[in-house]
Amino acid sequence: MNLSSELAVSATGLVKRFGDRRAVDGVNIAVPKGLIYGVLGPNGAGKTTTLRMLLGIIEPEEGERMLLGHDRPRDASDRVGYLPEERGLYPGMKAKEAIAFMGALRGLPWKQGRKRAVALLEQAGLGHAADDKIRKLSKGMAQLVQLLGSVVHEPDLLVLDEPFSGLDPVNQERLEKLIRGQRDRGATILFSTHVMAHAERLCDRLSIIAGGKVRFEGSVDEARATLPLRAHYTPHHNPESAGTLLPADAERENGGWRFTVPPEGIETLLVRLIEAGHGISGLSIERPGLHDAFVKIVGAQALEQQEQAA
Amino acid sequence: MSNFARTLRQTLTIARRDFIATVFTPTFLLFLLAPVFMLGFGAVGGVGAASMAKSTEGKIRIVAIVPDSDRDALIAADRELRTLFRADEMPPPLFFERPGADPELQARALFASPHFDATAALFGPLGQPHILYSPPRERHGRYLEQLAEQALRSARLGSPRLVQARIEPVVRAATSSSGHGQAAFFTVFGLFMLSLMLSSQAVGTMAEERSNKVIEVLAAATPLESVFLGKLLGMFGVALLFLLFWGSIFTQIGQLLPGDIALALADVAPATGAVFPLLFFGYFTMSYMLLGAVFLSVGAQAATPREIQMLSLPITIFQMGMLGFAIAAASQPGSWVARAAEIFPFSSPFAMGARAANQPEIWPHLLALGWQALWVAITVTIGARLFRRGVLKSGGPKFRLKAMFGG
Repeated sequence: MNLSSELAVSATGLVKRFGDRRAVDGVNIAVPKGLIYGVLGPNGAGKTTTLRMLLGIIEPEEGERMLLGHDRPRDASDRVGYLPEERGLYPGMKAKEAIAFMGALRGLPWKQGRKRAVALLEQAGLGHAADDKIRKLSKGMAQLVQLLGSVVHEPDLLVLDEPFSGLDPVNQERLEKLIRGQRDRGATILFSTHVMAHAERLCDRLSIIAGGKVRFEGSVDEARATLPLRAHYTPHHNPESAGTLLPADAERENGGWRFTVPPEGIETLLVRLIEAGHGISGLSIERPGLHDAFVKIVGAQALEQQEQAA
Repeated sequence: MSNFARTLRQTLTIARRDFIATVFTPTFLLFLLAPVFMLGFGAVGGVGAASMAKSTEGKIRIVAIVPDSDRDALIAADRELRTLFRADEMPPPLFFERPGADPELQARALFASPHFDATAALFGPLGQPHILYSPPRERHGRYLEQLAEQALRSARLGSPRLVQARIEPVVRAATSSSGHGQAAFFTVFGLFMLSLMLSSQAVGTMAEERSNKVIEVLAAATPLESVFLGKLLGMFGVALLFLLFWGSIFTQIGQLLPGDIALALADVAPATGAVFPLLFFGYFTMSYMLLGAVFLSVGAQAATPREIQMLSLPITIFQMGMLGFAIAAASQPGSWVARAAEIFPFSSPFAMGARAANQPEIWPHLLALGWQALWVAITVTIGARLFRRGVLKSGGPKFRLKAMFGG
């Protein structure tokens, strides 16, 4: 089976310079069809530039890309939905017209677009605003309208650049639901964010970009697995002296100790603690979050940059 | 769907949006009725000028200081000669005074009168009159001289008229070359005025997309060339609506014109005859699209309304340059200036419009319209690429005509 036919988006060696700065420096990305794929990175990492290159808004200086099987992104434009980081709608348009217009740009007939727009607005709880002009809507409502405009033509690929920024928690929840709904419909979702909580809840796979390069690619679990498990142990007796038996990174916390679980496992350590008479009052093993993995990966890149600068 | 069909659909979607967004606004009414304001101000100015003219009308006069025996002959001559003048060129009314002891002193005193403004005065015998005039009204003095001449001739020949002519109007079977020339001038001027009023609006149209960030949505969905062409077509639709509205009004007004004016205008006819309206429309379309594409491309680079305002002056100067070039071409058909203006893309619609009025061949126009359409495409492509590089910060893709129009 041809691997590229299983990929909604693929890119190899994408490079983009702005002046002397390499904003994107050899990015490789492979987004399987039907998944929610996150592009994570700190501000200025090159996420937006990468997405814009993938969509053909700007041209890479080096590298190849495929979008839904086309090497020219324009050829797939009718099957793609896009929510840019800088939101933009015509303020004089009615909400349903704005959605229908975005659909019409992607090949959806106006009449059908208007019908779907009304239905989508109803589903999103904005049915009352269908005939309101965009300038009358709140920022969050306008953002939702734009998002609905990006899905009105039922695209095979939905690209969302920082979709959660500017939304209140209720609308963030709505948006997460909408993204899952699109995935369930069979669409592939590619979105960028620097908020780990959304990525952790939504992403099937993800890339972490920092300094214009991909620093990690894999599932959320694989990202977490880049960090060892952490344990929180509370001795029953003599908590202070228990520290001598624990790994070197053990730190006191809430009357107990927090430390990294050794590579060989925690069982041997527990036996030693019990034999030494400390007993176990409490024990919890914690998997590191995506946030921790992200900080570690991005932190390593920052360190690398500092070393290069030195 | 082929790339061409998709591009066309996207272009028309953008054109539709721009057309509706422009037409269904209160400001469009202001735009549509702008000529009413222009005509209104013109009328107010005209009424003011007319009332000023009227206030001095009864006061200006020419005076003949002659004995009563010469008076009738001068009155008859005055009546005859006045038929040769148009109303706005008519000499002031003729007044008479009987000569006193010193006619010269009497004549000079007329120019100092506080009750009227004498512009010329005649005294002395009609065969050797002495005529005074207040500069720059020498023409009025010459008129008094002609009155004396005519009066004396009539007196000596014994009859006020030797010739009894029959004068009647004739409608030309073919238009005159001077009529073609006038038609060429009107064509160039008409095309220029329409382009000046309508196409320069394109300069600010991309500002909306830039300020409200919609450009990112458009650029992701459609090629920028489609965005540019769509916006041009949308604004062209607005211009057509404007033309239809005022065209139908002026057609009705034309039918109400007095017969002699209609006859006078009948000679102002283009050499290409009945095809001319089609050619005029074709060249209006091309002048609009060409100049509009330039304005759109230049305006798209502007980041602020102030920058757009700053661009207005060079744009107007550019338009005036094209007008001057085309008028030079219209006044010298067949010359190298005319040929250059016909070939240079941005003056070509005006110059070829003039050619349609001056020369009867049709085939050069087909060639010219194709040439101008090619330049519309080139200008739009260059504008879109400059925008992509300058505003979207992207290197342009390699030009692939086959990919754009192929399946």
